[in-house]
Amino acid sequence: MMFKKNTGSKLLQREQRLAYLLLLPTFLVLIVVALYPLGLVFVTSFTDRTFASPREPNYVGFNNYAQLLSMTIRELPPLIDEETGLQAVDQKTGEPLYERPLRVLPREPRRYREVSQFSFFGKRYVLGASDPDFIKAVWDTLVFTVISVLLETILGLGIALVVNSPFKGRGVMRAAMLVPWAVITVVSARMWQWMLAPTRVGVINVILQGLGLGDGNIAFLSQPEWQLPALIMVDVWKTTPFMALLLLAGLQLIPNELYEAARVDGAGSFRQFISITMPLLRPTMAVALVFRTLDALRVFDLFQVMLAQSRYSMASYNYYQLIGNRAMGQASAIGVIIFIFIFIFAVAYIRLLGVKTD
Amino acid sequence: MAKLANRVLFWIIIGVIIVYLLFPFYWAVNSSLKNENQLMMTPTTFVPRDPVTKELSPTLDNYRAVFQSDQFIRGLRNSAIVASAATLLSLAIGLFAAFALGKLRFKGKTSALYIILSMTMFPQVTILSGLYVVITGLGLTAIPGMVLSYLIFTLPFTVWVLTSFFRDLPVELMQAAQVDGATSFQTFRLILLPLTAPALVTTGLLAFIAAWNEYLFALTFTAIEPASRTVPVAIALFPALVARQEPFGEIMAAAVVVTIPIVVLVLIFQRRIVAGLTAGAIKG
Repeated sequence: MMFKKNTGSKLLQREQRLAYLLLLPTFLVLIVVALYPLGLVFVTSFTDRTFASPREPNYVGFNNYAQLLSMTIRELPPLIDEETGLQAVDQKTGEPLYERPLRVLPREPRRYREVSQFSFFGKRYVLGASDPDFIKAVWDTLVFTVISVLLETILGLGIALVVNSPFKGRGVMRAAMLVPWAVITVVSARMWQWMLAPTRVGVINVILQGLGLGDGNIAFLSQPEWQLPALIMVDVWKTTPFMALLLLAGLQLIPNELYEAARVDGAGSFRQFISITMPLLRPTMAVALVFRTLDALRVFDLFQVMLAQSRYSMASYNYYQLIGNRAMGQASAIGVIIFIFIFIFAVAYIRLLGVKTD
Repeated sequence: MAKLANRVLFWIIIGVIIVYLLFPFYWAVNSSLKNENQLMMTPTTFVPRDPVTKELSPTLDNYRAVFQSDQFIRGLRNSAIVASAATLLSLAIGLFAAFALGKLRFKGKTSALYIILSMTMFPQVTILSGLYVVITGLGLTAIPGMVLSYLIFTLPFTVWVLTSFFRDLPVELMQAAQVDGATSFQTFRLILLPLTAPALVTTGLLAFIAAWNEYLFALTFTAIEPASRTVPVAIALFPALVARQEPFGEIMAAAVVVTIPIVVLVLIFQRRIVAGLTAGAIKG
């Protein structure tokens, strides 16, 4: 667009050469810190390389991937009571008993262990995987991502709508919104870890008990059914304000005349929200959703600090495989899987929401 | 009457939101002013109280301990070095790229923009092991290693935000310089660079916060070099003085100490930060 008046082709060429020269350092750095390591990880994922060891790695083909991703579903036959010839039941709970998964799941060519059990049309099945921890990590990461992004969007939209109406003290409000965003993620994990302490030294337990919920001894971070909700709560606290700020910026782009016109036409506030706010906020919301989702999929800090090795996200599983088990080949395969995962999510999102990148 | 009820409801909602946003931080301050016994009181108290007399009795012991802790002080220093170096480097390198992408015509511009944008979404954990190989291969110790690896997220971000800033600068400015016989580079240095100063401050601050926050690379690369640990690693691995009992009073004091400067900075540059964040995301 520039230099319209004297667009000589020579000038254009000079401009182009300058542009390439200016881009060179950035792309060199990105090659060194991103593309080359990515290539290395890809190659390493086909070997049994060990971390920080002089041993020569062997090429193992897709073995690491098969080990991580192999899954199978087997039917669990009912346990038959020898005396009655009927299905045995648990003495205490009265639940029908089934064969132990260990005896049903295959051991060759690799050993499968139980991920979960489910019933379907009156039959009992077990889902087995050769690396149940990884399968669980993928599942937990997905659940974490979907629920926390959903909550953040709803809460963020609510906060943005409230703050968007003019009132005294709006500046203070906006400043307060930046505080959770500015707290280091590790620090917020530690702060919440302390608030979620499993006895009444933890403020959340005290508050819940005061509201008549729980016995004041809920172990949020060690009871499996509480772990994900607790982490989602922390993530929602930390990132909702960011979402709200983005949506607020989007709201402020909507011209006021539209609302005035709608009022003249007799549209109520709900109607205005549905036919003006939502459609016009869509592009902003789409971008915010993409950023937050991709961010949540690579969650590491919260899981590593608050749950350590009792429950993994994809990223923390990768870390522990590399540093704890020194299984570099396998960790690399996990890295590649995460990469593909995030890539698919990004493309799907951009297609689905029609985000414009220009 | 309905109007008054509406107002009251509105302020209640505002109050709830503010409490929700600030309470965890208040709790950290509150806990940091308690001693070991006060922390273990059940039920916990909303201000530091004496376990026996129930009177208000805050203590600064945790802060004293934190400032005497070598690991924490070193962590602050390491973090400051690493985050500033990564920020300055990405500003220096990214500024050129952003100028080219925002104001020059060349073939392959769209693909270059796409590559930069996709880099901002890059899952860093993927390349953890590969990056480790690169860093040891280059013979770098933990601190320069972290600086280099942080460029993977600070650089694309810097380029992206600054590009949108350059794009918005009026073309007339450059045309005028052109008419006066300035080369593209002179235009950049004499006209555009001074204009970018505010954008540089904002972008730099955001990149600094991102680098200050980073945990995964820091944890991995300092695993065999504890002296190079940054603040997040130091806080995550805060040493327990009493066996098995985590020193939450001191951890909270450390949390408050590292959070306050960032919060103050963020509040000072509030408007610009919001503008920078939205430029990074919304114009995407």
